[in-house]
Amino acid sequence: MIWVAWRRQRTETLVTAALLALLAALLVPTGIEMASAFDRDGIGACLGAQPGQACASSLASFNARFDSLDSFIAWLTLIPGIVGVLLAAPLVLELEQRTHRLAWTQSISRARWLAGKLGFAIAVALAASLVFTLLVTWWRAPIVRIDGRMDQSVFDSEGTVVFGYTLFALGVAAAVGVVWRRAAASLVVGLVGYFAVRVFVDTWLRQRFLSPVTSTFHLLDNGPDKLRHAWVFSQYPSDRAGHHTQIPLGLCGPPPAGGGKPVIGNCLADHGVFMHATYLPASRFWALQGIETALFGAVAILLLAFAAWWTYRRAD
Amino acid sequence: MILFHLDPRSGVPTYLQLVQQVRQAMQLGILRPGDQLPTVKDVVGALAINPNTVLKAYRELDREGLVVARRGVGTFVSGELPSLPPDDLKGLRASLQRWVERARAAGLDDENIAALLAETTRAERPARVA
Amino acid sequence: MTAPVHADGLGKRYGSTWALRDCTLEIPEGSVTALVGANGAGKTTLLQLVVGLSRPTDGSVMVFGADPVGDPSTVLQRVGFVAQEHPLYRGFSVADTLKLGRKLNPGWDDAIAHARIEQLGLPFRRKVGKLSGGQQAQVALTLALAKRPDLLVLDEPVASLDPLARREFMQSLMEAVSEGGLTVILSSHILADLERVCDHIVILANGRTQLAGPIDDVVETHRLLTGPRADAAAIARMHHVVSERHTERQTSLLVRSNGHVYDATWELHEVDLEEIVLAYLVRDRSASAEPARSA
Repeated sequence: MIWVAWRRQRTETLVTAALLALLAALLVPTGIEMASAFDRDGIGACLGAQPGQACASSLASFNARFDSLDSFIAWLTLIPGIVGVLLAAPLVLELEQRTHRLAWTQSISRARWLAGKLGFAIAVALAASLVFTLLVTWWRAPIVRIDGRMDQSVFDSEGTVVFGYTLFALGVAAAVGVVWRRAAASLVVGLVGYFAVRVFVDTWLRQRFLSPVTSTFHLLDNGPDKLRHAWVFSQYPSDRAGHHTQIPLGLCGPPPAGGGKPVIGNCLADHGVFMHATYLPASRFWALQGIETALFGAVAILLLAFAAWWTYRRAD
Repeated sequence: MILFHLDPRSGVPTYLQLVQQVRQAMQLGILRPGDQLPTVKDVVGALAINPNTVLKAYRELDREGLVVARRGVGTFVSGELPSLPPDDLKGLRASLQRWVERARAAGLDDENIAALLAETTRAERPARVA
Repeated sequence: MTAPVHADGLGKRYGSTWALRDCTLEIPEGSVTALVGANGAGKTTLLQLVVGLSRPTDGSVMVFGADPVGDPSTVLQRVGFVAQEHPLYRGFSVADTLKLGRKLNPGWDDAIAHARIEQLGLPFRRKVGKLSGGQQAQVALTLALAKRPDLLVLDEPVASLDPLARREFMQSLMEAVSEGGLTVILSSHILADLERVCDHIVILANGRTQLAGPIDDVVETHRLLTGPRADAAAIARMHHVVSERHTERQTSLLVRSNGHVYDATWELHEVDLEEIVLAYLVRDRSASAEPARSA
């Protein structure tokens, strides 16, 4: 059965491998370049408690160099979706082309056949997720050291969430496909569904997974340590108690020539203006990853179970 | 080796056609005692007919003493076909000629004559076969 | 020895339509059974129930005493199936297709499979999608035969083939049957082929079995009665009238009877199988179905 599952899924598996190879071809050279720039410019030292004078400019130039590439890389989060729906194709095609009448009348039971077919698809999905996560995580390591990994466009290719995403996409396409029995259309629906749910979770649901931390701190501070690399939901000037305050216009005069923020800061602080921030610290990264992975994973399992059940019981 | 052919529209059962063809082949000397008949597999492979039909034909030939089946080897021609003594044949031919003349005089054409003959032989058949 | 197929009140409903209803029949071992009926009569439904591709809505079907749905491995190992339009994986080569058979069938005999393909002169390396219809049908048949089944089920195997391919398929099939140990059910709506190949027949119409039995018996017990215009009632009291036709002056009845028809007003004629089948197929839909006569 394994040979049969592989042979039937050969094309999709090879396309997935090619996609990942393409990804590697893009990421590996630029990743190496970025990592060596990071080392060469001594950016690591800049991230400590006492950044040196040159740090501001070297950080700025590093960002300028790799920022646009980074935003492009953020779109790669579509790849788990593409791979997932693609791997659902063999199952749906079997029903659409009605070759199941051949497959289910050899000597193995429908259940064993399903287990082999789905099992193989899931295995490839997990393997692809692993390769993807490792590649992107490695590539982004320098940027993560600078900005942390709680940010939306970074979070979704680190840690374990990609496994959830790929299986979810596989589940949606499979569930739709076995009922509808049109492969091309189901894959499109699967991808659209994947995209819609991802956007929903990214922009609305994820911030509701865990209760955020709030703190009010002195304007002159950089904020509590926990704020570093955190996911900031909101940040605004406030009074001591944390309530929003309006800074009257012209409260503090223009900065003297050559001066800057520190003077305004002192002035505002004297008038009782603080900063209030609502955020999720970087230490909650794995908790957040776990929740999101479990969410997508659980839904994926439900969808795949449905697809299997439907095929087993209903497909005539 | 005899080559069988089938006439599906003749109204004669398939197995009987095979029997008749073996008899004819024996009369014409195409099949001699000791010759092997085609295997069931060969016959069905050529004609696309049910193997039981061939078996039925061979059993009938066996029953008539014309062939003998040797298990594991094949079916072989064993007997001689009792051919009609030439005198009987001459007598039959003569009376047939007279009958045909009478039929023509009565107004039957060749087609009517053939139909009448077919009907008569068919009517005779069940008695023979049963 | 349990019968290859035993159906009891078998029925299958799709939505609100009964594709098959009240089907009770038994297929005798070693027979080559023709399953005939118009398109949509229930032939494919019945065959799919036999091989476990469908679940019965009503009644049961047993294959060699086992349930095709509940005990698929037992049944499938003894049954070879070629579905309508002989589905195959077009992207597989002929060799790949045989490999699939080998991997999925513990009873697979690779030597037979290869011998058949060679004897048929089919190229092992060519993709199945590039073969002709007749060649594809032969590959499908090889796939079914090489697992050494006891029962072979074929759903309209030659429907889409040209006459030569049809003949070659049947020759091939009959050779396999002649080797012994095989029961065959084959469905078709083309009658001429079936008469020379089959020894049993099952007639389906409107999802119900109209008749089932050995072909010789069927031909022997059906007679066409012709005579002056008359009511069929008298005859119907003693024999089963399958169909009747009346003109102003004449009546003809197709009758099924175990005994002789001792009525001098009627002239008896033999009927060939095709006429008998057609008479059953056009019978009034509302007439209740006879329970099928089994062999």
